[in-house]
Amino acid sequence: MREYFTVSELNDYIGSLLENDLTLADCWIKGEISGCKVYQQSGHMYFSLKDRDGVISSVMFKSRVQRLRFIPKDGVEVLARGNVSVFSKQGKYQFYAQEMQLYGVGDLYWQMEQLKEKLQAQGYFAAEHKKPLPKIVKRLGIVSSQDGAALRDILKVIRNRAGNLDIIIAHTAVQGAGAPEEIAAAISRLNTLGDIDVIIVARGGGSLEDLMAFNSEKVVKAVYDSQVPIISGVGHEVDTTLIDYAADIRAATPTQAAQMAVPDNALLLERVLKYQQRLIQIMQRELLDRSELLDRIMMQKVWQQPESLLKSKKLQVSYLQNQLHRNIKHCYKDKAAHFALIMKGLDSVSPLKVMERGYAIIQQEDKILRDAENLQIGELVTIDMRRHRLLAQILKKEQSAYGDQI
Amino acid sequence: MEIKFETALLKLEKIVQALESEELELEESIKLFEEGIKLSLYCRQELERADGKIQQLLENIQGELELAEVEINE
Repeated sequence: MREYFTVSELNDYIGSLLENDLTLADCWIKGEISGCKVYQQSGHMYFSLKDRDGVISSVMFKSRVQRLRFIPKDGVEVLARGNVSVFSKQGKYQFYAQEMQLYGVGDLYWQMEQLKEKLQAQGYFAAEHKKPLPKIVKRLGIVSSQDGAALRDILKVIRNRAGNLDIIIAHTAVQGAGAPEEIAAAISRLNTLGDIDVIIVARGGGSLEDLMAFNSEKVVKAVYDSQVPIISGVGHEVDTTLIDYAADIRAATPTQAAQMAVPDNALLLERVLKYQQRLIQIMQRELLDRSELLDRIMMQKVWQQPESLLKSKKLQVSYLQNQLHRNIKHCYKDKAAHFALIMKGLDSVSPLKVMERGYAIIQQEDKILRDAENLQIGELVTIDMRRHRLLAQILKKEQSAYGDQI
Repeated sequence: MEIKFETALLKLEKIVQALESEELELEESIKLFEEGIKLSLYCRQELERADGKIQQLLENIQGELELAEVEINE
């Protein structure tokens, strides 16, 4: 029988008691973090968990700290899982935390905040990546639950605004396990289908847990990768999910998303009618201008008193006529004198004059004969003399007494 | 001629601007006017259309995309 323990022995003994207790070997405790310190050298985290009435020293080793999905801070309520043991050197029992998560909604909120920071740093929310919405939408894609109120809200708005719009619904789960994958796949399918002008991703209001699919990295990346502009309309006005940061346009609600996606046909129609009216006005004015111009031209004197123009033209014509007469007369006189002169010259060489001198013209078959070389005995010729024409027959042909002198 | 609504609206806008701001020959004005009236009638017709379809995008077993008619209780 031993009479005493050394200090270490007692601590060890207590330690073994605690360690053999099944409850203490693996338990969850809820508490608020306080006095949180991470030692740089070791990377271990020392802190206390406390509630209103109590406190317990806690430690988390480096390997476990690295797996935390949030940044532990004082004042944060957590659920921690671990075991209780004795730290002999200080003679106190401690909680050795293996894993830890934020308690309740705080947990989801923190997860979302962390993911937001990460994605933001990676550029998924960059303003310069955002695409403008097309002015006119002919084919709209909707990613939502086919049975949800969000879809009905959207359809109601669209039918009121644009009856000519084609709508393609890509039905997805909008909450629960698998929802992020389904939403991402629906977005990419609409992109693959092509010829879609804008996509609305929508879900009605709900708790943060309900909306968590829209806080997922998968959905954010699918939105970022979409070639088609995306409008997010998730939850109520107060809800903000990560898809809102990634979307090209963020709408507060599904209804607003529909309003943003689809211009009101009534407004467009108003615009078209206004243009039409302007066209007609311009044309009327144009024609009026022209007819005024025409009126002004018609007002000019010449159209009012055409005879005044005629009068001067008449004068001009008669002057020219006179001129012409005079010129012709003058010209005729000249020509007549010239003609008389020529006639006189002609007279002197006229054959008639020559015949008067005793010459005759001999013709055979209406051709004047200049010599008798080809003329045969017995052929007929006509002889024109001053007063008579004779028909003669050749009786004899011999060389002329004049020889070849002529 | 298949012309997109957006293109038609833009063209109409340009024609109105051209007629309002430029000095044009009467023949040219009338040509633009006629075209503008045609475009505006086309735009009106498009806007007053109410034959938009609602379809559902599905993926069949082969992984191909299909569009199916769908009834939504509004």
